[in-house]
Formats: sequence, structure tokens, C-alpha cells
Amino acid sequence: MRAKIETKKYVFAFIIAAIVFFGALGVSNRFSEKRIAEIKTVEDKISLDILSSETQFALLKESSCRAIDHGTAFSEELGSLAAKLSYMEDNLGNNNPNVISLKKYYSLLQIKDYLLVAQIKEKCGTKPITVIYFYSNNGDCDDCKKEGYVLTKLREEYPELRIYSFDYNLDLSAVKTMKSIQGVQNKLPALVIWDEPYYGFKSAEDVEKIIPQLKRLRAVREKAEAAKSATSTKK
Amino acid sequence: MVETFFNSILYVFLFLTLYLEVFFLITFFEERLKLGIISVRAKLSRYPSVTIIVPCWNEEKTVSKTVDSLLALHYPKDKLEIFIIDDGSTDRTWEVVQKFAKNTQVKLFRKENGGKHTAVNFGIENSTGELVGCLDADSFVDKDALHEIASAFNEDRQMMAATPMLVVHEPKTILQKMQKTEYHTGAFLKRMLSPLDAITVTPGPFSIFRREVFKKIGLYKKAHNTEDMEFALRMQANHMRIRNVHTAQVHTTTPGTLYTLYRQRLRWAYGIMKNTLDYRFMIFRSEYGILGTIALPLSFFGVFIFLYNFGFIVFHIARVIISKTVEISTVGLSFALPRADSFFFNTDFMSILSYVFLGLGLVIIWNGVKLAEGRFRPSSGIFYFIFLYGIVAPIWFTRAVVNVAISRGTSWR
Repeated sequence: MRAKIETKKYVFAFIIAAIVFFGALGVSNRFSEKRIAEIKTVEDKISLDILSSETQFALLKESSCRAIDHGTAFSEELGSLAAKLSYMEDNLGNNNPNVISLKKYYSLLQIKDYLLVAQIKEKCGTKPITVIYFYSNNGDCDDCKKEGYVLTKLREEYPELRIYSFDYNLDLSAVKTMKSIQGVQNKLPALVIWDEPYYGFKSAEDVEKIIPQLKRLRAVREKAEAAKSATSTKK
Repeated sequence: MVETFFNSILYVFLFLTLYLEVFFLITFFEERLKLGIISVRAKLSRYPSVTIIVPCWNEEKTVSKTVDSLLALHYPKDKLEIFIIDDGSTDRTWEVVQKFAKNTQVKLFRKENGGKHTAVNFGIENSTGELVGCLDADSFVDKDALHEIASAFNEDRQMMAATPMLVVHEPKTILQKMQKTEYHTGAFLKRMLSPLDAITVTPGPFSIFRREVFKKIGLYKKAHNTEDMEFALRMQANHMRIRNVHTAQVHTTTPGTLYTLYRQRLRWAYGIMKNTLDYRFMIFRSEYGILGTIALPLSFFGVFIFLYNFGFIVFHIARVIISKTVEISTVGLSFALPRADSFFFNTDFMSILSYVFLGLGLVIIWNGVKLAEGRFRPSSGIFYFIFLYGIVAPIWFTRAVVNVAISRGTSWR
């Protein structure tokens, strides 16, 4: 006589399995929502910072350029936001409406920062080093991933370097205007340095050759670090 | 598009796997009170006569210990006879077993080599016991194993066969330690399949049968060199009850090297698939209960599901390695510490499901160890099983699928 299994056991197991399975889906979605909210919060904070800098700049005019607080910390924040956005893009896909919306917001913030930096440069005579990077992740740019690694490394090495990255295919009028102002063609990856577009993969050495100031920045930093370590040894 | 298609298949497989794990865990909760019973060797109301057959082919190193463990069983001597059947060994097995020639419990037989099933059949035909069993010459029984099995036969008149709990004998190599945990996990699952009447194998080491089983359904067949699987399926096809007696422990020697393990598992995997195909008329047939609806489909399709999931993991690991290689070749090695930001902790759907499966797997391992050893003890075997099994098992599973596809048989050694 074979053991009889009640139908309710099959059903019960199915219900529990379904709860766990869809529960995992729910938890995963919840984490994604939390991440998107976190990115939005950072974007809002950056937006506020830019607005604050712009207002400060308008109030003081050129009388006190030193008072403008637009240092490297802000650039780092944009950098870490780029890493988070790229992570979300990998996880949720680049067609996800939330990811697209965050990217648009991020692109606008970058353009605003770029304009503010340009204004400060003009009025106060500062010489910020900016790199504008156009990429595509539609599968039509083999070297874009490599270029991304190079720029991430450069951003870590030179906090003074301001890198603005834009998805070439992003459907946002401000980005389209940016493309046409810079005269960038669809030959990606594309870098714009000192208003000059460069096409194809550029290694860290290539970028350092185009921007000789970077080497000087490194030398200054190494000198300062050597002096610091000498002082601490004396103690 | 392609990725979505393959992901969808994976989700279906994962849901099925999850369903089965939940089903077994529900059975575990139903059975847990019986699992806690500590065996007390009380006198049995009746001691059925037993014949144990020890088939040997070139087992000169282990056969003495195997027979010694049988002679040490706590069971009336006049109720237990032991048949040692030398299946045409070419080593000193026959000389070694002569030391038991004068023991009244032991009978020695020698025949021409014909394969394990012929040796066991020879023993069955010459046996007189009410219960007849077999013990491979590389396995050793616990002193109370037969007492426990006889007790189970006394309690359940419908029970036609009893399988013991197999544990790995003195694991030494990493692979043997890995198999120790694998056997513990298997012991737990077999114990769960037992009340569901869904056991698909009566293993060579110490499965015991009522004599009438052989009268009704015949003797062992070659059955793709996995006669113990075929016999269990034949019993199931005839609605004969097979139960697992987890308190009867048998220690078995396991392969110590990857090659010997591969040979053994290839034979098993191939045998499972071929025998399941031979008995496919039971698949998805409700009169065969859980065996038909779950255990047999799992025996056959489980290999494919395992390989598919493995392929998915390999594909993603390969993607990560390629991406990392491109990064290193582009910007060199970075010795920076990994980002500690909780933002980057992987919580996508697949990862959360993996954590769930790992948790359920640990619950099964925990209970398997507890079932075998009385309490949970952490061991290196658990670590090796979790991290190594998924890497080595695809080797024989893949080959078994290929062999089944081209109908190429396997050999014993």
C-alpha cells in the first residue's frame, strides 16, 4: 500500500515556495527602490550645492573670488554618484525608466557644474582641468568600457580633474546641445579636452600627454607627501 | 532578448528546486518527532533468520574487516548466516577469506567472474534466511545495524525492504571529506523520501529484503551496472514498500581521488538516467505517488537542471573575469580596498534567491549531520561540500548526459 499524500501538502508547499520566491523578488525591488532614492537624495544635494554656489557667485560678483567654495570635495561627490549610477545601470538595465530619469538629472547637474566652473574660470581666472566624455552602452562602442576604467583611475589619482560623462544616446535636449556645441561626432568613445574633441580609446598616458598639467600636479603632490613624511620622521 | 529567455528558464528551474526543498522540509517537520528517537537495544519479540551476502571481486584488503563487522553484529548467531562469494577474483581474496572457513556462521563460495549482480543472485539462490541482504566488501556495519533493521521489519509487515544510513568510513582526502557531508545530506533526503514511498535505490551496502521479494519480482539484473537502482525501481513498480532505517548505520569506503570518484559517479549518474528511462512508465503517473510525480522526474531532469544552473553561474563568473581582465590590462592592478559602501552589496533577485538556497541547504546539511552523528558538529567537509561539489559534479554529470545521448555504457572500475 503506497503512502497517500494529501493534495493540501502539495498546495501548502507551493504556497510557501511562491511566498519565498516572490518575497525574494519583493525584497530585491525594495532594495533597488532604496538605492534609487539614495541616488536621488545625492542628486538633490548636489543640485542644492550648485544653486548655492551660483547664488554665492551672483552675490559676490568678481569682488571676492576666493570666497567661492567650489573645491574638490564636490567633484568627488559627482564621481561617487557616477559609480553608483553605473552600478544601477548594470543591475536594472540601461532601459529602466528610473535609471534613465536619474541619468538625465545627473547629466543636467554635470552641465550646470560645467557652466558654473566656466563662469568662475572667466571671472576669477582659475584654470580648472575639465574632461568631457561621451560614451554609449548600446553595444556599439567596444572601447567605452575601457575608457571608463581609464577615467575612473584618473579621477581617483587627480581629484582636481573634473570629468563630465554623458551618454551619447541620452534623449535629453541639454545633452544634445552639449554635443553640438562641442561638435562631437558619433565616433565613440569621445573626449573633449580644452574644447578639442579626441576620438577613439585614449589611455591614461595619452590623456596625461594631452593635459601636461596633470604631471605637474602629481609632482607637486609627491613633493608635499615627501616633505610630510620627512617631518613625521623627525618627530 | 536572448538573456531574458535564458533567465526565464532559469527562474522556472529555480522555482521547481525551491518547491522541492520546501516539500522535503515540510516532510521533515512532519517526521521530526520520529527522527529524535534514540535507539535502545531492547530484546526483539522475534528474530527473523537473516542471510547476508558479501560479493567480492579483488577485495583482499577490505573483505576481512567487512566480515569481522558482520560477525560482531548484535544478533543471535543461529539466526545469521554470512555468504562470502568470490566472483572470480584475480588477487588473494580467496586465500584471505579462508580464515573464516571454520566459522559455522560463514559459508564460502567461489564462482567464475560474471559481475556483481551474478554473485548476489548466486547467494540469493543458495540462501535460506527470511531476510536476505547484501554488504559490499568495502563497507562495515555498526553492531546494532541488523537489530535495528529487524526491529523495523517486525513493526511493519508491509515493509519489503530496508535501506540503512550510509556514512563515509574514515575520510582522509579533501574529496572524501566532501563526500562525508554529501552522504549526510543524502541520508537526510533519503529519510524524507522514505515515508513518501519514493526511495529510488536500495544501495549495495546492507539493504535488506524479505525473501518473498525475489520470489515475486525475480533476481538482480545487470541494469547499466547499477543493479541496486534497477531493483528498487522494480520493487516500486510492483508497489512494494521500501523504508529507510536511519538508526542502522553502515560505514562505506569512498573514492579518494578525483579520477576514482569520477568513475564511480559517472556510473551512478548514467545508471540513474538509464534506469529512469527504462521505468519511464511510472513518471507523472499518480498511482506511483511522490515517486512518479517528484522523485523519478527529479532523478532524470535533476541532472539537466543542475547543469543548466551551473552553466548560468559559469557564464556570469566568466563575464566578471573577462571584465576584470580588461580593467587590469587597461589601467593595471589596483591594490585599493574594495568599496565598503553598503550601496554595492549585491541584492538583485538572483543574489537574494542564492542566499535563500544557501540557507535552505545549510538547514538540510545541519539536519543530515544531526541525523548521522546525533548532534551538529561543524567540519571542514561542510565547507568542501558547499564550495567544491558544484565544481566537480558537473564533470561526471556532463559526461553522463553525453553517454546517455550516444548510449555509451559505463564500466565498474
